[in-house]
Amino acid sequence: MAQTLSAREARGLETRAACDDTPNRSLRKGFFTDTTLCIGCKACEVACKQWNQLPDDGLFFTGMSYDNTVALGASTWRHVAFIERPVALSNQDAGAFSWLFSSDVCKHCARAGCLESCPTGAIIRTEFDSVYVQPDICNGCGYCVVACPFGVIDRREDDGRAWKCTLCYDRLKEQMEPACAKACPTDSIKFGDLDQLRQTAQERVDRLHEQGMSEAYLYGADAATQLGTEGLNAFFLLADKPEAYNLPPEPVVPTKRVRESWLSFAFAAAGLVAAAVGSAFLSTRTQL
Amino acid sequence: MSAQQAITSPDEHLQQLAQPEWERLPETAGPDPTYYDRPMLKRPVWSADIPIYYFLGGAAGAALTLGAALQLVSRRKRAELRRLSELCHWTGIVGSTAGAAFLIHDLGRPSRFLYMLRVFRPTSPMNMGTWILSAAAPSGILTGLLLNRPGLPGAVGEIAGYISGVFGAALAGYTGVLVSNTAVPVWNESRRWMPVLFASSGAVAAASFLDLFYDNEAGRRVTRVFGSAARVVELAASHQVEQSASRIPRVGAPFRRGRSALLWRAAEALTAASLVFSLSRKARVAGVLGVAGSLLLRFAIHEAGNVSATDPRASFHQQRQRATAPARTLS
Repeated sequence: MAQTLSAREARGLETRAACDDTPNRSLRKGFFTDTTLCIGCKACEVACKQWNQLPDDGLFFTGMSYDNTVALGASTWRHVAFIERPVALSNQDAGAFSWLFSSDVCKHCARAGCLESCPTGAIIRTEFDSVYVQPDICNGCGYCVVACPFGVIDRREDDGRAWKCTLCYDRLKEQMEPACAKACPTDSIKFGDLDQLRQTAQERVDRLHEQGMSEAYLYGADAATQLGTEGLNAFFLLADKPEAYNLPPEPVVPTKRVRESWLSFAFAAAGLVAAAVGSAFLSTRTQL
Repeated sequence: MSAQQAITSPDEHLQQLAQPEWERLPETAGPDPTYYDRPMLKRPVWSADIPIYYFLGGAAGAALTLGAALQLVSRRKRAELRRLSELCHWTGIVGSTAGAAFLIHDLGRPSRFLYMLRVFRPTSPMNMGTWILSAAAPSGILTGLLLNRPGLPGAVGEIAGYISGVFGAALAGYTGVLVSNTAVPVWNESRRWMPVLFASSGAVAAASFLDLFYDNEAGRRVTRVFGSAARVVELAASHQVEQSASRIPRVGAPFRRGRSALLWRAAEALTAASLVFSLSRKARVAGVLGVAGSLLLRFAIHEAGNVSATDPRASFHQQRQRATAPARTLS
């Protein structure tokens, strides 16, 4: 993607590369989900469940829309959102109505909240730059659940461990694309090398703009537009505000702001020691 | 090194960003859209074990610190302070081991609790906390067993006491960092004050416990000074936590509405009452109220997080506020 980086951004990326254990950057894989191509068929949900042998998480009728899957979860790693709007898309003339469908998935963030908060090291970054939970290590502490700014990862109740999309790590090892991308009949879910995907995505946005669909934009495509996560390895093309898709407008990995908290912690701990020593001394000297 | 990525302030970065692209989109779904009001974040999976651990760990940590401070001033055979110091250490031992049991019980896979110690990961406050707990509890136990013994064992106990005092202070405060380092809006937004609140509430609980179980006048003076200071700081910190969360009304809502607000107000009232009783030298009453206040406070914070995580607008407002902060429009 032709884009000049500022000195600061370049420094940031260098630091990240230096701290990264990814051996080969050319292996960076991800998803580009073009929601304008999604027809809401849920083939991705089914393919994901089938391939990964995920248990069902109950049969619910929400009554709110065609969306009875509701959200991503420990046993749901693809989720198709159904947005019914009382307005047309700008390149439609079919009356005041439009459907938006979007297949949501784990974003495999460049800075992943779950990975950074994981106290056991169960969550790792793979050679494909994806974020993977090792089921033989996870002890179900639940910290990743609150650390994810997208509400993706969750703990499975019967099993006690945290689960989320693996980017079909097992399939990637065999040079196969993830099950959801394979099953997608409209190629709304594109899988590939990140650099290539970003270029494809930008071309697609430009083309949609030419066709009069001025709403189209990329969500989380790179660090320049989403510094809170430093870019998503699974990014999206959207046609309404992120909130309409239940996506956070400005997600920030919690670790990025935790320095303030540690500073406050240092003051608090020092204050506690001072108060303890002070009150012990004081009580030996004076009659209070 | 996999998780130890560079930590930089995102707010600094946000100021450099251009207006996000979707800002130019028309308001098709009203001014404050959500996805059918469904939660955007996951509800924390932590059960009541966790606020109980906050309480026990906080009390234990502060008690260990006070125990070490009393060691320091009672070198010259002030027997009554020496005994209080011992009681502090035993409070620390019971609190930290019982707290650890609650922590393990809350795990999805309790048998894997030791996996917490397979890495040293500064980006994870929970990992840091496990190391702090693993230092504070054994050194506390060593102190409890050896302090005031003659000869070498006594010297070892003395040193272990100071070590447990330092790690105790960390034990009382780190849980504040732990809840702040999350995407839960109400916890995240009050991140500057949470550690102070957790540490001071731990100190209130410790002083209150000691008030309940020790009635020597010299000891009472210590717990009165320490406990009163802790109560004042706790009240101030809880005010600050509420204020910083309420800068964005929707984020601070759990402190004003519902069960979490009820718990929050009750905790404040109990702490304030225990301060009054402590200053008027009614140590037992102050002790009961102080313990209850500290425990309720932890449950209030826990419940506020549950409410906040399941309110998509809390997250959206928090992030929009950031996006439209004055600093950003300057760039």
